[in-house]
Amino acid sequence: MTELTQARTEERIREEAKKALASGEVRAVVGWCATRFDDRTRPFFAETAEECDLLVWNPYCINGTAKFALDDRYPDQKLALILRGCDSRAVNRMLRDKQLKRENLYLIGVVCDGKENPICEECQHKTPLVYDVLIGEPAKEQIYPERFRKIEEFEKLSPDERYAYWAAQYDKCIHCYACRNACPACNCIECYADQYRVGWQGKAADREQNQIYGLTRAFHVGDRCIECGECERVCPMHLPIMRQTRKMLKDINELFGSYEGGLSEEETPALGGFRLDDPDEFM
Amino acid sequence: MIISKLNLNKALQILNESAQVFVPAFEVIEDRAAKKSIREKKFLPYREDLEVELEGPNTVKPPKDILFPNVEKLYQYKAAGEDSYIRETLPEETPKILFGIRPCDMRSIKSMDKVFFTKNYVDSYYARRREYVTIVAIGCTETDRTCFCDSMGIDPNTAPGADVMMNRIEGEEAYLLHAQTEKGEALLKNLESLEGPSENVKAIRTDCTLKIRKIPDLDRKLAEMFEHPIWDKVTKGCIGCGTCTFVCPTCYCFDIDNENYGTEGCKYRCWDSCMFSDYTRMAGGANPRPTKKERLRNRYMHKLSYFNERYGETLCVGCGRCIANCPSHLDISEFIEKSSAVDPKAEVYTESIRAAQGKEA
Ligand code: SF4
Ligand code: SF4
Ligand code: SF4
Ligand code: SF4
Repeated sequence: MTELTQARTEERIREEAKKALASGEVRAVVGWCATRFDDRTRPFFAETAEECDLLVWNPYCINGTAKFALDDRYPDQKLALILRGCDSRAVNRMLRDKQLKRENLYLIGVVCDGKENPICEECQHKTPLVYDVLIGEPAKEQIYPERFRKIEEFEKLSPDERYAYWAAQYDKCIHCYACRNACPACNCIECYADQYRVGWQGKAADREQNQIYGLTRAFHVGDRCIECGECERVCPMHLPIMRQTRKMLKDINELFGSYEGGLSEEETPALGGFRLDDPDEFM
Repeated sequence: MIISKLNLNKALQILNESAQVFVPAFEVIEDRAAKKSIREKKFLPYREDLEVELEGPNTVKPPKDILFPNVEKLYQYKAAGEDSYIRETLPEETPKILFGIRPCDMRSIKSMDKVFFTKNYVDSYYARRREYVTIVAIGCTETDRTCFCDSMGIDPNTAPGADVMMNRIEGEEAYLLHAQTEKGEALLKNLESLEGPSENVKAIRTDCTLKIRKIPDLDRKLAEMFEHPIWDKVTKGCIGCGTCTFVCPTCYCFDIDNENYGTEGCKYRCWDSCMFSDYTRMAGGANPRPTKKERLRNRYMHKLSYFNERYGETLCVGCGRCIANCPSHLDISEFIEKSSAVDPKAEVYTESIRAAQGKEA
């Protein structure tokens, strides 16, 4: 996208945000604002027309916006979200999981141009899949042929090599839960890991508890992952977390046929439903 | 004393003979599937094949866990009739050397000392580790874009409280070391054989990259701003993770839990974060800090006001780690500027363009 259309898109975002607030139905518009560093933006809630002028659109708008809708599950007024393709799939994810109500959202879709985020190279849906108003011309969907390549490479390693790799990774984990908190598929009202009194999950950041956390989370989100890459982006210790859900998705694709998460509000996640013709040979 | 860079490894070897030395170095994990290696700079136990980097940017994680480990066993017990016991599990009496910590991290250890040693209580676990640690601090030669310690009253070239202070010499591949305590003198004695010539040398001086506008009495101003509308605004983008806490050199909160195997078990403590929902959750489920607004407010207040009230200094040392690592790119230095400038009695708070860009508060 050229500089001009980037500026024009930003202008349109601000216009739509102001319109949404002026309608009286929307309490805030979630987008991105500038920070002191030119190559960073931050999630921002515009609550007045003045603040709408702080919304920006540039290659550094990388944080997901959708999950902020969960901060208030029973809102009096709508929340408007600026949505890229991945954010729209995150919305579908949470609608499908019955964590959000569509009528509580006002969705300002923006056709994305790809951001300064490695995951964007792998993106197959740059045009939002759900929206109330769309900014930009819908882009053609792309196929990313390398989707499972790293998983295939990883599968070639021996179980011991794979264990050693993950053990080294989880020894680095600081147990901060950033991966969970950023993930739109981690949308439970109360995470199992926060139920300390039940004792599913210890808080200690040691190999044992870190690995239990990683494994449990991967299984909880594996079939609902929308491949937005937020978990991996936010990890301060750079764990390749998405490789876990990608592995689950690869298996799901092989066992149940072509599948991507968050494409619609109706989909049934492979592990969340049951069909009589399920390939359940393991049972 | 002057030690040439070429002799650095030798110095570390000598020190490593009588103590366990920790140095900033790169840990490498090979990722064969992605055909790349992942490198992380952290404090590691010294080995000859380590890729040590004393200068360059600071480590992502502070050296805090050497004194205050993430998980620390407190006592062991057994409940089995006559065989029952409770046994304290104090850390081993192993001398350690923390080699190459930065002035901000040294200041943070001094703050932790206040927490664990003063106000009529000595934490025996921390005290044991602290007693056996000798600290060699190094003046910064390169600062990150998120470094603002000198705005917080810390000099990136000196480290009061460190046993040895070490500075890079201008125009030379060598370091100037001087002892600041008895422990430090003993350490340098060990290295005498490596001493280089010292004529007219001058230590490099460095300045922080990020200069921020902080009013001197921000702690007292914030104490009056508990209900200020600024909190609503600046905390909205937070996702409530523990990243800022766990990379912060001065966050010292811990939780206590136990691990039981049949009739035996142990009590341990592990780092906790005031950003987590269960930090203030009561047994019955009520939570006085129900949302990230109350939680982040607590974090900022603790760093910038509560600690001043109790210990007479600001707890944030300006290391910039939470700024560099926050997934949402929240920035405590920006908050310091905004809260320094804002009207403490204001009833509404609206972001302005320049404030949002961090250009002017
Ligand atoms: S890529 Fe990561 S953050 Fe995104 S939906 Fe999948 S598991 Fe969650
Ligand atoms: S974000 Fe990274 S360090 Fe934090 S809990 Fe997840 S895997 Fe561990
Ligand atoms: S300020 Fe940033 S690092 Fe800290 S809890 Fe919030 S999102 Fe996580
Ligand atoms: S609050 Fe942030 S900048 Fe201040 S000492 Fe902690 S990590 Fe460093």
